[in-house]
Amino acid sequence: MGSRTQPCVVVGFATTDDAMALADEAARAGLRGRLIPIPRVLSAGCGMAWREPRDNEAALERALRAAGVAADVRAEMALPV
Amino acid sequence: MEILNSKKGLLVSGLVIGALIAVLAAAGNPANMAICAACFIRDVAGSLKLHTAAPVQYFRPEIVGFVVGSFLIAVATREYRSTAGSSPMTRFILGFVMMIGALVFLGCPLRMVIRMSAGDLNAWVGLVGLVAGVATGSIFLRKGFSLGREQDTNRAAGTVLPVALAILLVLSVTTALFAASETGPGSAHAPVLVSLVVALVIGAVAQKMRLCFVGGIRNVFLMRDATLLLPIVAIFVVMLVYNLATGGFKLGFEGQPIAHAQHLWNILGMYAVGFAGTLAGGCPLRQMVLAGQGSCDASVTFLGMLIGAAFAHNFNLAGAAATVATAEKAATAGGPSNAGQVVLVAGIVVLFVIAATNLRRRKAAAGVAPTAPAVPAEAQA
Repeated sequence: MGSRTQPCVVVGFATTDDAMALADEAARAGLRGRLIPIPRVLSAGCGMAWREPRDNEAALERALRAAGVAADVRAEMALPV
Repeated sequence: MEILNSKKGLLVSGLVIGALIAVLAAAGNPANMAICAACFIRDVAGSLKLHTAAPVQYFRPEIVGFVVGSFLIAVATREYRSTAGSSPMTRFILGFVMMIGALVFLGCPLRMVIRMSAGDLNAWVGLVGLVAGVATGSIFLRKGFSLGREQDTNRAAGTVLPVALAILLVLSVTTALFAASETGPGSAHAPVLVSLVVALVIGAVAQKMRLCFVGGIRNVFLMRDATLLLPIVAIFVVMLVYNLATGGFKLGFEGQPIAHAQHLWNILGMYAVGFAGTLAGGCPLRQMVLAGQGSCDASVTFLGMLIGAAFAHNFNLAGAAATVATAEKAATAGGPSNAGQVVLVAGIVVLFVIAATNLRRRKAAAGVAPTAPAVPAEAQA
């Protein structure tokens, strides 16, 4: 009965700036995901995270490298589509 | 606990918090001010004699409850983490300006929602300023604004504010050390135990659900995500029902409790709150919750708000509530003094300076970025 979910890789960031840097790189790197509020299970803070379909994880890695940012936290999660 | 962060959980949590706010309203807190983070910090500053405005001096147990409630639940659920080092003095200034803005408007974003639910159209005007302020802050976030990363620090450091506030509360209850208003908003309050218990619960729930009036709007601008607005809507609905049921609802600009109809200053006051709150990472209530879960930087922001409140009343910067005519006195329009107007505008200029001078230059193609260890897959949203 629950909503449809999608297996995703979620990366959280230490600063908003890092999240924005990845968002800027996203289109160039062929990412299909988007910024989301960092899931509560990953942080008690109110920062941002990037969710990316798990089948596109390699592109996410390339984008992180290209943006020069580090993931502060990383998880595989099933998120609502 | 994770149920709290589903959409249904956020709505239910908001309804619970709304009901608790209604309890404080019924138990004696000031009209349309059942809870106000800014006003209550201002009252605490007065009780500690950091300012001498006689009508607004009372050691509000709610302030202690928000911080200690967050602290206790964070410790109990192993989320307490003592951190510091993210531009503390800049955060002090952000807290200071946030408080000046709130006291010109006469309320934090939570009181704004409570006033909106009572038909106070001035609060709806203030909402325009708050949204504009958050939008401005979001533009700078989008451009790379950052106060730097918080670092883990001595575990005891994060306990200083919760413990200090708890000790001060004990002193306020057991001694006559602190000032207490005999008239005015500071004299209207719920029984200490009721205030404390309600605030402890709200602090704990707010920590779990990350309640933030500024963050909720920021998420809409930056991520098209309105989830964090759900509890705020729920609080509004509960208080609307409460006000309608108790005769507290009165639609209009004039004759509203502890409010003024100086639209420009209502907008600019909340603009400063929204802008400063976005740069600091949360509204006044959220700052207290973050301080409770161990953020020394949020504690510094709290101190900025406390000192800002003292300045606001020592130097007559806060907005005055409009008054109706009596046999002895003519009606007054209220609003901030000239000094208050100048300081608020200067504060907004300072916010732009802080925003512009903390833009990080991003380095594209900076090499391999270290990646964090994976979190177990069972941590499902």
